[in-house]
Amino acid sequence: MSDYECEPTKWQEMKAPVDGGRDGYQTKSWHPPKENWGPFTEKGPAPVWFAEANATNWTESMICKAKDLFYEAKMNECFDKGDEVAIKIHYGEWNRTAILRPEYIAAIVEEVKACGGHPYVVNDTTLSYHIFNSMAYSNYQLEGAIRHGYTDATFGCPVLIADGFSGEDDYRVEIPEGLILKETYIGRAVAEADAMIVLGHARGHAITMYGGALKQLGIGCQSKRGKYITHLAHWGDPHDAIGWPKFTDQCPGKACKFHQMCDDSCPRGAHHVTEHGKVWDPSKCRLCYSCQVTCIFSGMTGITFEENYFPNAMIAHADAALGALKCFEKGKVGYINHAIDVVPECDCFPWAGLAICPDVGLFAGKDLVAVEMATLEAIDNMPISPGSVAEEKGCKPGDDKFRMVNGFSPRITMAAAEKIGLGTQEFNLINYEPVLTPENAAKWQVRPGGKPTTVKLRETFHRHDLATEVMPFNRTEYSKDWVFDEWKKYDPFKGESA
Amino acid sequence: MQQVTWVDLAAMTVDNTVSHKLDRLVAASGAAENISDGMRVALKINTAEEGYEYGLRPGFIRTVVRAASRASNNLSIVCDGPRLVDYWKRSKANVFMEAATAHGYSNETLAGHFVINGGFSGDEGDLFPCGSTESILGGVEVGTVICRSDALWVLSHVTLHPLFGVGGALLNGGFECLSGRARTRLLQGLNPYLFNGARPDGAKVASFHQRALEAIHGVKASVDGRIFFINCLWDVTPQPEYYPFSGRPVMENLGFLASRDPVALDAATYDLMMARISDAGDRPAIDFTGVLKEAEALGLGSLSSEIQRLS
Repeated sequence: MSDYECEPTKWQEMKAPVDGGRDGYQTKSWHPPKENWGPFTEKGPAPVWFAEANATNWTESMICKAKDLFYEAKMNECFDKGDEVAIKIHYGEWNRTAILRPEYIAAIVEEVKACGGHPYVVNDTTLSYHIFNSMAYSNYQLEGAIRHGYTDATFGCPVLIADGFSGEDDYRVEIPEGLILKETYIGRAVAEADAMIVLGHARGHAITMYGGALKQLGIGCQSKRGKYITHLAHWGDPHDAIGWPKFTDQCPGKACKFHQMCDDSCPRGAHHVTEHGKVWDPSKCRLCYSCQVTCIFSGMTGITFEENYFPNAMIAHADAALGALKCFEKGKVGYINHAIDVVPECDCFPWAGLAICPDVGLFAGKDLVAVEMATLEAIDNMPISPGSVAEEKGCKPGDDKFRMVNGFSPRITMAAAEKIGLGTQEFNLINYEPVLTPENAAKWQVRPGGKPTTVKLRETFHRHDLATEVMPFNRTEYSKDWVFDEWKKYDPFKGESA
Repeated sequence: MQQVTWVDLAAMTVDNTVSHKLDRLVAASGAAENISDGMRVALKINTAEEGYEYGLRPGFIRTVVRAASRASNNLSIVCDGPRLVDYWKRSKANVFMEAATAHGYSNETLAGHFVINGGFSGDEGDLFPCGSTESILGGVEVGTVICRSDALWVLSHVTLHPLFGVGGALLNGGFECLSGRARTRLLQGLNPYLFNGARPDGAKVASFHQRALEAIHGVKASVDGRIFFINCLWDVTPQPEYYPFSGRPVMENLGFLASRDPVALDAATYDLMMARISDAGDRPAIDFTGVLKEAEALGLGSLSSEIQRLS
């Protein structure tokens, strides 16, 4: 056995309980921001690799193309051998169906491992958001993750909550560069990683209008405290109210059939129904959206958002994203946006609307803003899905879809993101099309590098031929009439091919 | 006189397997008496380090988890904290989880949610008082899985322990439930790995005992006193789980003991062990009777117990 020394851990830096109060909070702890953090691209355009959502052979499988893009975009250079690599995804709300399929995540985990990294999949806890939330407690969130197929077994690596059991395992990160936020709180499983690959699901969002890779950083990497500050909780005062919900005079009070749901929606008991409205204590409120979402999506209008709330929150979440990016050295974060199931709302919703456009494909790169801009432009140029809210609102190809569907342009976020140093809005799209060759067809199959399954089966059938053993199979007697004519009696088109 | 229930390994039949015995132990010892519908019950277990091959079988843990879930009509949580010392980087939760999974401890095998106490960093915890004003600690930070639960069942794999004498209910239900930084504070520089020539200073060890025992008051306070202990006398090895290896077990398997009183439980456990370990070299290097007396003096329980034996 090698010589052993009792190495100090990070815990030994703290000899006493944490001092209370925001000024003393974590003043003695490790500070995660790296000295050489920064956007990957100093000056645009930044390269973004794209693989379209379609497949006609082995090499064009979306999973195979995801693996190809990982290398085309040089994500294997985001980390060194032995690095701890956080794979940031959204675990999805209970009953949510439009989430990333587990295969997309497993594909990247496999390649991180193949390149010598130590991957683990992470997501932070959320605030309550709505009355039946399953993501605020880590055990509830993991139940949902398992239900979605996100497990150690499916990914081949640990599936963790980034900010602890209760969402308090975080680090404060100062962001003097921020336009609104000057600090935020990042889950430690993210902050302590050596590198991060962000797998964004590109779709709409009720607050930020659009959610992709940037939102994975700006909200997804934030602990509960980080989410509160990003929501702009208590920014201003209750009278100008940008940092609080807006209680209107439209609340019917106990006449509303959802009034008990509404009362129950606040995790702090900040409001309760009266005969003809609501009584609200703003000092208890922390702007978790739970009452607003519960009211709005019940079809009521008693609790909503202040005017100008959304664009300010969009800019704030770009600030928060910078807090997450600062935890990594420059070039240590890679992004893949999956414009698949492009639905109107976030994965934190417990339902999924119809996709607003057909599946687009995958976008990969190391410049966060460029990847987002390429994704948005492609989504905007797609046709409109029939029956979707985009069609209902009169969207046409080329329109800013998320602006029309959700209210404001996501380019507000991107402009703010570029200004504070998250990346460049200019991008150079590189269309990736795999070449069909025997080598490429075999490259990402099960047991790569081994014998093809058919050749392996020869060995099995040589030992025991299960078909020959029971042949001839019992069937109706063979006749040419059957083969050429009889089947047409079962075809409503009488054998005419399309 | 505190009650300790012991289910031994005699009379095994198809309807009296180890799992049946564990179920009967939980029922007979009244573990579920203060558990009501909807409560969140946390089970603190000992996950094994890579290289330690005598960890408690996942099937045993699963049986107890299911009993807790039935009692509360709610899915129970299984937890352990990341390793204290970065010997094999086990203080990182992702690597800790990999080691746990390799030993068969996962959501799928344990029938409850396997969660890290104290979060990714092990630092997530709340401060709880350690009883009297004479406490030398004042308070301890209890890991969040435990302190945010309604009740705690401490399922301990009994082993010898280099600093505590015996690792059982008293150690696993106190020190082991704390956040990483709280455990570091309690150790005060004591090296928990006594191989490669490291030897503990006697005075420092005695002082650690007092701090570790006081911590139990904090853990009890964090779950409003709803705490229950099960000791597993199965593969009682010379090293505890956090070691990266272990020698052979020092005695035969005796089954499982349970009680609400951790002092009575560990005392009964220790008596059973001492009656069976004949080789002096296999006995604890630390005087555990002293630890037990100190625990009683701190008001953690009673040394006198009545054992109800089941087969």
